[in-house]
Amino acid sequence: MALPTAKTKLFCAAGAILMIALAAASLFVGKYPLSLEGILGRDPMQLRVFWTLRASRTAVGVIGGFALGVAGFVYQTVFRNPLASPDVIGVSSGASAGAAAGILFLSGAAAVTASAFAGALAAVILALALSSLDRAGRNSTIVLAGIAVHSLAQTALMCLKLTADPERELASIEYWIMGSLNGISGYSIGANLILCLLCAAVLFLLHRQILLLSAEEGEARMLGVNVGRLRLVVLLTATLAVSCIVSLSGLISFVGLLAPHGARLLTKRNSMGTMLLGGMLGSILLTGADILARSVSSTELPVSIFTSLLGAPFLIFLIIRGRQKA
Amino acid sequence: MSFFTVENLTAGYGGKPVVDHISFELEEGSLMGLLGANGSGKTTLLKAVCGILPHRGSCTLEKTVLEKLSPRELARLCSYIPQRSGISIDISVLDVVLMGFNPRLGLLEYSSAQMKERARQALNRTGLGGWEEENYLHLSEGQKQLCILARTLAVEGRLLLLDEPESALDFRYRYRMLELLQEWLRDGEQGENGKRAALAALHDPSLALNCCDSLLLLSEGKIRAVLHPGTDSLESMEKQLAVIYGSVSLHRCRDKSGREQLVMLKESGENE
Repeated sequence: MALPTAKTKLFCAAGAILMIALAAASLFVGKYPLSLEGILGRDPMQLRVFWTLRASRTAVGVIGGFALGVAGFVYQTVFRNPLASPDVIGVSSGASAGAAAGILFLSGAAAVTASAFAGALAAVILALALSSLDRAGRNSTIVLAGIAVHSLAQTALMCLKLTADPERELASIEYWIMGSLNGISGYSIGANLILCLLCAAVLFLLHRQILLLSAEEGEARMLGVNVGRLRLVVLLTATLAVSCIVSLSGLISFVGLLAPHGARLLTKRNSMGTMLLGGMLGSILLTGADILARSVSSTELPVSIFTSLLGAPFLIFLIIRGRQKA
Repeated sequence: MSFFTVENLTAGYGGKPVVDHISFELEEGSLMGLLGANGSGKTTLLKAVCGILPHRGSCTLEKTVLEKLSPRELARLCSYIPQRSGISIDISVLDVVLMGFNPRLGLLEYSSAQMKERARQALNRTGLGGWEEENYLHLSEGQKQLCILARTLAVEGRLLLLDEPESALDFRYRYRMLELLQEWLRDGEQGENGKRAALAALHDPSLALNCCDSLLLLSEGKIRAVLHPGTDSLESMEKQLAVIYGSVSLHRCRDKSGREQLVMLKESGENE
């Protein structure tokens, strides 16, 4: 059921080639110049930069972008809304509040990452717990619960900002919220990336069930789906994947919205291939944006600037192209 | 004991009952039509029977109480065709039909080649052969209904619940849909997976009178009468149908092949 068509396979192959090319470029672009000769010649400084900074940063770009794309596909399918994204249930605002608390009360990048992850997870669990109070288990209740949690997290973030030292802590909070892959090192990403990959694998295994959730709740139930339980598992898994990434990178706008939308506009289908292509487009977008963020200016820029700059015209192009073909 | 029994079923929205203490029985191999004015509770009754809507009372298929089944177990026994399918994503017609096999697949299993073949055969029967790879959302409303019917025909259910399945179909396909339903019931009698029955809320009373074995007349959430068009007199049926449709008359006509059909006409000048 819903296996990739020949056209989808072609797009996936092209996406994979572009993703690998960008990942390779990402390994060598940055302030400290790396060369293939230096790496192969085992230059100690180049090897150190390669393994501790570039490889980990590239891994977060590729895997993180992939997870954001796949999670976006899941959200858009489950909520039957092309504008849905993991932000719907407050994951980004929860992560922001968690990161702000980490910056104010803890020390070290790893502690901030852990605190952001805890904030994101707390937001998701709270949103899903609130929505479970509605026994009918409607999609709209989850969205409303997400809006409530988002507002709560924003209020907490404002309170934390008010208590922050304006010169150091407030600036750090604002910079974290803008999102960046700068400062990611090999020591802090392992557990997050493994968990993120596991979540993505679970979502691919459940892709047939995810498509069934796109039917109306009563219809899905009559197709043998335990709607409430499956939706909870799927949303929790998708959000966990996103939490793993945003807790490392800060907020990254547009990838979770654009990548699956782009994949759908290209393949004109919702299938496992579309989900895979959505993940690849997410990787391409985030890795490409990260390359630009560290190369267009002497100081590193927030990655979200480029995900939006690359993403918005691409989305408009796809929509116009889709309408012209229709 | 009847094939399917509904006892004291009460269901509604926001604590207000729309259908109230409804009881009826459905014989094996039979097609029962559900007639009623708009808002009489037809959809509520069907949704309650298939467990989508919380309700009081019980529904028993042979000796199985439907309320005790998990969604997967229920879906293996019972299929439901809503007025309009809620599928709103780009997906192929074949994939929509294959969704029907979900209750027979493990969580991580895919549909087999045999299931795909059965899905194609069901699409051929409903007149959608050759449309397998088309986008479901690009179909007309009538074609979507036929696609959802194909999804039901492809699987071996025992009880079929249909909510105005003919409302978006043209004249020809209205009768074709009912023929397919009757074929599905006959297949049950000859097949190995047990007998079948169907309950269909219908929009068109003439169609219901000609195609159903019995008719349940629903008004203000209660059963007003049960008609058997094959045996009941025209006068008694006119009297009962008037409760729902106002003054009507029934006429027996013969088509060119000599087959007798019933036609219901609204009597002019009378609203009640």
